[in-house]
Amino acid sequence: MHIDLKREVTRSTSGRFGIGLFSLILAMALFAPLLAGYDPLAQSEVSLHAPSWGHLLGTNHVGQDIWSQLVYGARTSLLVGLSVAAVSTTLSAILGAASALIGGLFDRIMMRIVDAFIVIPILVVLVLLAAYLQPSVWVLIIMLSLLGWQGGARTVRAQALSLKERMHVSAARCFGASRWYLIRRHIVPELSPILVVGFIYSMRRAIFLEAGLAFIGISDPSTVSWGMMMKEAMDFSYLNAWTWWMIPAGVALSLTIIAITFIGHSMEPAMDPRLREVVEGEALA
Amino acid sequence: MQRLGSGRRVLGTKNVTIYIVALIIIIALNFLLPRLMPGDPLMAIYGDEALVQMSPQLEAELVQRFSLDQSLWHQFGAYIGGLFTGDLGHSYYYNAPVFDVILGRLPWTLLLVGLSMVLSTLIGIVLGIESGWRRGSRTDRALLGGLMSLNGFPDFFIGMVLLLVFGVTLGLLPLSGAVTPYSGLSGGALVLDVLKHLILPLAALTLAHVAAAYLLTRNTMITVLKEPFMLTAKAKGLFPRVLKYRHAGRNSMLPVLTMTGIWVGTLITGTIFIEIIFSYPGLGYLMYEALLFRDYAVIQGVLLLVATIVLAVNFLVDLSYTKVDPRVRYAH
Repeated sequence: MHIDLKREVTRSTSGRFGIGLFSLILAMALFAPLLAGYDPLAQSEVSLHAPSWGHLLGTNHVGQDIWSQLVYGARTSLLVGLSVAAVSTTLSAILGAASALIGGLFDRIMMRIVDAFIVIPILVVLVLLAAYLQPSVWVLIIMLSLLGWQGGARTVRAQALSLKERMHVSAARCFGASRWYLIRRHIVPELSPILVVGFIYSMRRAIFLEAGLAFIGISDPSTVSWGMMMKEAMDFSYLNAWTWWMIPAGVALSLTIIAITFIGHSMEPAMDPRLREVVEGEALA
Repeated sequence: MQRLGSGRRVLGTKNVTIYIVALIIIIALNFLLPRLMPGDPLMAIYGDEALVQMSPQLEAELVQRFSLDQSLWHQFGAYIGGLFTGDLGHSYYYNAPVFDVILGRLPWTLLLVGLSMVLSTLIGIVLGIESGWRRGSRTDRALLGGLMSLNGFPDFFIGMVLLLVFGVTLGLLPLSGAVTPYSGLSGGALVLDVLKHLILPLAALTLAHVAAAYLLTRNTMITVLKEPFMLTAKAKGLFPRVLKYRHAGRNSMLPVLTMTGIWVGTLITGTIFIEIIFSYPGLGYLMYEALLFRDYAVIQGVLLLVATIVLAVNFLVDLSYTKVDPRVRYAH
């Protein structure tokens, strides 16, 4: 199974669209200090101001510049998304592969735990944890990672199990390759497409959950989050302020998730070749 | 998402252990979290606001009730014993047993989740069949692009936009609650009132979740259409409509059934947001209020109940799966 995911994504329209959109948001996060113009947390006397040249998207209830908050919000979303995806994908790679290679009782216990976590409603668990722990961004990242590796571990395990039995791996083992060598040279490279897809989906989930928790009121007060902006704007729904306060934050969040969804979708045919575009005239209809 | 989840079915269908393990994790979390927090466990169980209003007698009674003056094992025994008799603790905010508070809110959540489950699955399947059937056509591309984008909008954003447009700006539908308070309605008028309050939350939840069933059905439809039996059916000269729904469509529905268990989980997550936005008096809104007032016992109760519901639905799906696809039974 040699898959070139990069080619797969750049070849499809939805993949290119996703990459383009995501780069835009990434640029916004990277160059936030240049784009913002104000400190996103600095309060001023001009509160609930309509958009003007001084404040592109107006100001909120404590006089913070909404455009600056929007730009810095990209940082929080991407920081949480990328970190959680990195940690939980690493965890699922290690634990999934270990489960497949060690097998036996360890494998069985691991898989029961994984299945149990897949059916538990994570958001409610997060709310309970957050009620007690009052998490900072970093604690939130750890919480989301610990609750996010299970689905990926199952996929990795299945793939590693089938790889273990392949000819070339047996051949390498016959030549005296150590277990570590096998993992490094044969298992990990063949697993990478699955890990990339897992990374994409766990990033999407983490960004959604971070915004959702902030929307419920669980967020680090020292950072700006799109979910938090939407929650604050909601309290002023009787004013017209939501049109330049809630909507931009919601759209930015949605565009980020849409970009990731499109990238993920463009990888699906590579993982399941039956989904590839049919040749003209081959369709039944 | 589907890709990562669908591997679950590889495992034996009657495997009850998963559900027991899941329940143990939840119960352990509920039991250990407040007791591992630094400081007075009573404060951690009830929240600091509750203690202010507490008399010494009540405090002594609670310490005794939770066996807080005894070993952790003893406490655990008392906790489990309480669970079996339906004792989920006492809500200081509502000044009532948590069990009763939750039971009062449950019907509204079930109504919202149940209806939206049926609607989003049905619409998703039909759109998926139509889209997969004419794959690559303009209709298919429009549906695919549109629903994939819709999939990106978080449920709470969809809910807020619906509320602000139809509720606040246009003033067509009620802004909050599940019934008009103190209206004294009954019979048909009451049903109409409930429906009017239900439309916006239900629409938001359904819109946010229709894409999952659609994408899955479309993918399976595409692979089913390539099966040899489809060629046979076509060679028999069957009408396209029969081919599309009875032969291809029916076979595309199996993975959807498999995912129903997982979707109940995501729908309940979505309901929490939607209920908060529309102040809809279900479990999600209850949990939100409990979070605001630090009524920890209620959050724990909601977690336990929601987890039990999701686990029960998953278990039922597992059982029904062998009925719908007999091959599963022989595979193990």
